[in-house]
Amino acid sequence: MSKKILIVDDAAFMRMMIKNIVAKNGYEVVGEAENGKQAVEMYANSSPDVVTMDITMPEMDGIDGVKAIRSIDPNAVIIMCSAMGQQSMVMDAIQAGAKDFIVKPFQQDRLLQALERVLSRGK
Amino acid sequence: MDALKEISNIGMGNAVTSLAQLVNRRIDMNVPLTRFMPLDETISLVGGPEEIVSCVSLNISGDVPGMVLFIFDSQSTFQMVDLLMGMNLGTTADLDEMAESAVKEIGNVLTGSFIGALCQMTQLNMVTAVPMFAFDMLGAILTSLMVASGRVEDHVLVIQTQLFQEKEVNIKGNFFLLTEPGSIQVLFKALGLAVE
Repeated sequence: MSKKILIVDDAAFMRMMIKNIVAKNGYEVVGEAENGKQAVEMYANSSPDVVTMDITMPEMDGIDGVKAIRSIDPNAVIIMCSAMGQQSMVMDAIQAGAKDFIVKPFQQDRLLQALERVLSRGK
Repeated sequence: MDALKEISNIGMGNAVTSLAQLVNRRIDMNVPLTRFMPLDETISLVGGPEEIVSCVSLNISGDVPGMVLFIFDSQSTFQMVDLLMGMNLGTTADLDEMAESAVKEIGNVLTGSFIGALCQMTQLNMVTAVPMFAFDMLGAILTSLMVASGRVEDHVLVIQTQLFQEKEVNIKGNFFLLTEPGSIQVLFKALGLAVE
């Protein structure tokens, strides 16, 4: 059975790129959100197995998005995907509850391996 | 100005590496031109007030508050879209919504790399915000950005470089860093440059 994935990024282009990578590798994209707020709503409606979350987004950024999603599902599996890779950002994200952090630009394999790893670890 | 040149080499180097990864090609860069100059003079440096350019702008918060602009002339912009979308060079002739999103994301990633490199070098904290995009005449874009941000900008850190891959790819990139009055001193100081 395919793992369900929710893609969160304010750039349509990035959502498309991630969608292309994961769809070809056995994932079912159950939603695409443009910001943290939309992400929470879609998460509640579609119960994905994993979420990719950008940080810099309007309305609600990714760090707040992670906190918000984990408040409705403490077992949520979320991978950050951001152009900003500074140590403090990574720490904030992990402290908020993200399971991994990928810096853009990333190789396809990096994303796929990260997804596999966080999903196999289980909850 | 040596530390500034070093920053520009390292910053742009990181940014270009990111671009190369994004488009899956080797991208070379020539030695960047780095200047700290009045904003109005930057216009002729980039190509004149009527030059049609794409401009990705990002606000920066933290230790050096200000704004970063990545400016590319129209041909360079179309080339980048072609590269990013995996299309033959010369395909893109205008920007639809997806192409615009692609250019914004390029700007986002390049800026992230550049600022990340700067932060690593200086131990300063600089955080980028959501990118804005404009594809219009350079003069008009800069004027509206200044008005919108309420800036009374004096000098701007400008880094201009050419990105290329053999004879196929030829992208002219301009990176501007505009800072709040006094903030550039924070950057200079962190670089060990004398405070003006």
